[in-house]
Amino acid sequence: MATPTNVVKIPKPSPGSFNKNRPLAKNTLILNQVKHFREMEMKLPPDQHTGIDGSSIQTEGQAAEYIAKVTKLLHGKTFTAGGK
Amino acid sequence: MSAGLDSLKHIVVLMMENRSFDHMLGALKAQNPRINGLTGKETNPDTTNEPVKVQPQAEFQSQLDPDPDHHFPAVNKQLFFGTNGPPATPSMQGFVQSYFDQQKDVNHSHKIMYYFTPDKLPVLTTLAMNFAVFNGWFASIPGPTICNRAFAHYGTSFGSVTMDPFVVKAPFQSIYNRMQAAGRTVKLYYYDVASSTMEVVNLLSNQPTLFGTYSQFLSDCTNGDLPEYSFIEPNYTDHEGDGGAELLASDQHPDHDVQSGELFIATIYNAIRQNPDLWKSTALLVVYDEHGGIFDHVPPPACVADAPFVAPASDTGGAPFAFDRLGVRVPAILISPWIAKGTVVPGTEDPANGRVFEHASIPATVTKQFNLPTDPRSAREKAAPTFLDLLGDTMRPDSDCPVFQES
Repeated sequence: MATPTNVVKIPKPSPGSFNKNRPLAKNTLILNQVKHFREMEMKLPPDQHTGIDGSSIQTEGQAAEYIAKVTKLLHGKTFTAGGK
Repeated sequence: MSAGLDSLKHIVVLMMENRSFDHMLGALKAQNPRINGLTGKETNPDTTNEPVKVQPQAEFQSQLDPDPDHHFPAVNKQLFFGTNGPPATPSMQGFVQSYFDQQKDVNHSHKIMYYFTPDKLPVLTTLAMNFAVFNGWFASIPGPTICNRAFAHYGTSFGSVTMDPFVVKAPFQSIYNRMQAAGRTVKLYYYDVASSTMEVVNLLSNQPTLFGTYSQFLSDCTNGDLPEYSFIEPNYTDHEGDGGAELLASDQHPDHDVQSGELFIATIYNAIRQNPDLWKSTALLVVYDEHGGIFDHVPPPACVADAPFVAPASDTGGAPFAFDRLGVRVPAILISPWIAKGTVVPGTEDPANGRVFEHASIPATVTKQFNLPTDPRSAREKAAPTFLDLLGDTMRPDSDCPVFQES
């Protein structure tokens, strides 16, 4: 499959590019994603709420932690292969 | 029916974030004049009225900070600066002025005209040069992410031009519902639970079993378990994974690392490419949801209105919007060994043969390929062209198709 003529090398991202502390305010997409998750969390029974204060979510890393918790609550089931 | 179409069993769509066609692929015009990219002479006036030329100075990160405004009112300025606004033909002259509005810094505002040279984007440009690149694929709405992605999922945004949650309105259903109702297999793969999906309010909340993860996509490719239709979402955040591993956002949304997105696109492509049965029976579409406020030189055309939906003036910052014109042009590449190398699908630059695609073309194509009911569908989806006719009769040998390796 791979021959010397069809292989394309891909550079790795810079080691310093990771920044989980990037302010959420800099990315309107994630900011809105968090708002949507918040809205969905509030529709869950109170005993299933995360207890996380929305105003405490200020960085991408914090947003990711919050989103993971609510996604697991919403998902509720294990993944199945291939949509089958 | 072509041999390629006859062999097709899987459609995979990878939707990236917030980059315009010219920003990512515009420099390819120098390599292939049929690609409607940049001449290098395109300009926008800055706030001192000096013309600012496009420049090959785009960087992977730390340049488009703050996130360029791409909400409806800002995009209107980017498109119609110097005109009386719709229905005039977009001037494409307001990108620098719009970016200036955010920081009031003249020099910084020039960065919205920067574009990548092909050597910086080896994955995207290799795929564009080796398979089919669309000169005329436009965002569905001159606005932000959520409403544009809605067109890929539902063929409509149900009247939304904003980032707010929208309400799915009968009789229209997502392409996933339609596939399942027809007994077909389908999955949305998000990166992981910490990145999750942008379609949380409707799909994740109501149909969680539709979803899988990126790692599951990879194993489904290896094991031959890929569903007939797959939609992939990149990693939207820098976050830590299991064991504290640093997971870079791969969506290419400013200010995330563009190289990380390159790597992600390559892994999706390689996963399909490395399973011979999958490779010959799959069409992979790599497309961006919208332009992210970044310059493109092609005026978005008018389109069929998405009746009965009309966005109110309170959402547009101006007049009501009938969804009767498209958003800014975005990169779109269709990949299959059944596509001739160097295919360029003409767009609005070719009035005789050009074809105009938008995200409603995605459910329209899935509907056609898998013989789903054609009603009820949105007005925009019904009018959207499909793209699988690009698959031909000749399957290219492995040696003629690229393979990506991390260096």
